[in-house]
Amino acid sequence: MVMTSNLKGNLESKFSLRFFSGQQFSEIAFPLTAKRSTNNPQVTLGTDKDNWQHVSFSDHDDKFSQEQDNVYYLEAPLEKIKEICCYIQELGCPLVLMFANDERSFQAGYAVYYVFAVREEGMLLVIKTKADPETMEIPSISNHVHAASGYEREIQDLFGIVPVGHPDAKRLVFHGNWPQGAYPLRKDFALGQKPDFAREKIRFQEVAGEGVYEIPVGPVHAGIIEPGHFRFSVAGEPIINLEAQLYYVHKGIEKLAEGQSMEKCLFIAERISGDETFANSLAYCQAIEEISETKIPPRAAYTRVLFAELERLTSHLGDLGGICLDAGYGFANFQFQMMRGWAYSVADELCGMRFLRSVNKLGGVRKDFVSGKEAKLIELLLNIRSELEDTVTIIKSNSMFIDRVENTGILETKIAADLNAVGPGGRASGIRYDVRKAFPYAAYPNLEFKVPEHNNGDINCRMNTKIEESFEAINLMIQAIEGMPVGKVCEPITEVKPYRFAFGLTEAPRGENIHWVMTGEHNTLYRYKIRTPSFCNWPALCHAVKGNIVPDFPLINKSFNLSYAGNDL
Amino acid sequence: MFNTLKKIIKYPRLTQDYPNRSLTPASFLGQTEIDTAKCNFCGDCASHCPSHAIGLDKSARSIGIDYAKCIFCILCEEICPVGAVQTTNKFELAVRDKVTLNSHALCTNALSDTPLSNKNNDESINKTAIIKEDNLANTSYETICSDLQVTIKRIFGRSLQIREVDAGSCNGCDYEINALNNPFNDLERLGISFVASPRHADMLLVTGTGTRNMQQALVKTYEATPDPKLVVAVGACACSGGIFRDTYATNNGIDSLVPVDVYIPGCPPRPQAIIYGILKAIDRVK
Repeated sequence: MVMTSNLKGNLESKFSLRFFSGQQFSEIAFPLTAKRSTNNPQVTLGTDKDNWQHVSFSDHDDKFSQEQDNVYYLEAPLEKIKEICCYIQELGCPLVLMFANDERSFQAGYAVYYVFAVREEGMLLVIKTKADPETMEIPSISNHVHAASGYEREIQDLFGIVPVGHPDAKRLVFHGNWPQGAYPLRKDFALGQKPDFAREKIRFQEVAGEGVYEIPVGPVHAGIIEPGHFRFSVAGEPIINLEAQLYYVHKGIEKLAEGQSMEKCLFIAERISGDETFANSLAYCQAIEEISETKIPPRAAYTRVLFAELERLTSHLGDLGGICLDAGYGFANFQFQMMRGWAYSVADELCGMRFLRSVNKLGGVRKDFVSGKEAKLIELLLNIRSELEDTVTIIKSNSMFIDRVENTGILETKIAADLNAVGPGGRASGIRYDVRKAFPYAAYPNLEFKVPEHNNGDINCRMNTKIEESFEAINLMIQAIEGMPVGKVCEPITEVKPYRFAFGLTEAPRGENIHWVMTGEHNTLYRYKIRTPSFCNWPALCHAVKGNIVPDFPLINKSFNLSYAGNDL
Repeated sequence: MFNTLKKIIKYPRLTQDYPNRSLTPASFLGQTEIDTAKCNFCGDCASHCPSHAIGLDKSARSIGIDYAKCIFCILCEEICPVGAVQTTNKFELAVRDKVTLNSHALCTNALSDTPLSNKNNDESINKTAIIKEDNLANTSYETICSDLQVTIKRIFGRSLQIREVDAGSCNGCDYEINALNNPFNDLERLGISFVASPRHADMLLVTGTGTRNMQQALVKTYEATPDPKLVVAVGACACSGGIFRDTYATNNGIDSLVPVDVYIPGCPPRPQAIIYGILKAIDRVK
């Protein structure tokens, strides 16, 4: 591969990035002390004229600015994008997000952003390019950076930007009923516009051969779950291939948020995925707080940890119960459901809402939810902990149950890394990553907790990851309650400057959750990109079921327990 | 095994005896109410309401919340300058007639209330297609309708099979429906159970706005359900579209796709609110 030559940052203490030409790439170094300084406007990277330029938007244009000091934006020409992305991928930095933005009103055309995470250093590297305005094309990077596949198809559907060379560039968001040529995230598409119903044919991956047949399942399932269509190709019992057609609950959330007040968008963020209400609203609040350069009061930071961990505990207890139920282990399911019920009573005690809605506020939390309830809360949590200990002992000593979950639904480490599998699904497969450690937020830097480490990638590992995280969540909540400083709980944000943008990262119960917000005029949003962990883990799930028998699918599915709403938006 | 038995003995019964006994007074957030005596009709709440649920007529000095749209976010309570908005812990909000959920429309069109509820009865005839043709000859529409209602209630009164359909929710309502089967609510004690196929169901419990991509599946599920059947809309999205109203991918509530018998407001409604709605649909609560 030919590489861009000798690219070196002149930011000395801030940021060094060295690329050497030829076959040898030796280092990409991001010193931890890296700080982006706004009083040094001449920030140019690259010695060759046609190489990258570091675009620090605030320096070029007052209209544009980003506020986060651990995020670097680089602008690259379209024809170089593929090799640059491949290069960064080879350095071990995964693609965590890719999205487009209609920037025609700033004469910038359609911008496409590739976001890579330098997880060891807690930094994000954003490569920005512009789609070819004539042909509306970008070169596809999916053949090399596999995690890009879903994003490129999403961008194709919502913006009409074609990824040239994509291995399977069929529709993702829209089904056969959506006509050609309507792209909702372009600014000239009105929110309420409802195009006529079309009849396009959706093709699925065909697996041919003697004795191979297909099992179509869904969108309305047998259980009480969300809608999605699964197409299994099987020979006898084992699954050869699984293709998931999702987006049945696509509601147009990203479009809906555009032009709305930032206050309303908080309520929209709370309703992205019901059981991840707090993680999503928190990511949104963090992005807005970055943009407005607000520092939330310490008491609010501790309160947010308490709620975020309560949400994780509730979610994991439900998942553990689900795994037991799908393995036909009714007793254990009811034990976990009982504990989940207790976790809901903690939520009722705290805020009166089982789904932790109307808790977050831009700049903190809505009110002091904790004061006067500390003893009661700790008592409830200790009760859950002791019951959880007992139940875990019981299920782990049941050999029939362990037989069923061990070595079932293995997600290999290589696949998990390639697809950027996150959260318990990734951690069970040997991915050592937790947003709370890599990109610390709220009061997590002040609290002690361990991140589970497992390697086998089967249901058992995912289950153990969730069990260990549940215990850690209870410990974190108790630490947060005990260590909570006194003081106010909100630093209200009433105004934000237009055309500023920032990321909000949180560790949702299902994993890394990234929101990118660009503000518009009059405290509205210009663009709101949401990527929940489910988007990354759905393709991983489709790989994990391969070679397993059909009756194990519900069990494997439950061990991931992905959100359809969070994926479909 | 010994440990398992120990747990079974330790927790013999967790189930709450709702609806026979009302819930013990809890701190949870329920219906939001506006005290028109205190209200100064400034309109702050109406302009900030994220789902545009507050109807306000400044000249007529009338204000009210449409609970079909309300997402129970209590923002109105927070911003009201005169403290006229109160959050109560009322949760039994399910109704048959969607118009009765709109407290503003009710107070402004008090007179039109009666004809609207009549109109709804007419619709329910179409909904429950177990009319035999020979019955139709000399009987008035109203009589058939009321007879039918009695028949249906008799059929469903003791046992009911439900199919849940998510037609585009955020999954909050679905988790609350799931919670109906947990040890605390245990819906089966009321003779009500969930079945795997709409072909076995008497009632569809529908959540979500009715998205464009689910539209066809919802209608097909409805058609696959044998008559007589009931449809219950769960949550603000299913009642009116909620916060997701009027986007390119959603419908404003599932009643634009299938006929609805009972509306359960809430975002999401608590499990007991859903139990109340289901029982209301089969007339087991007044």
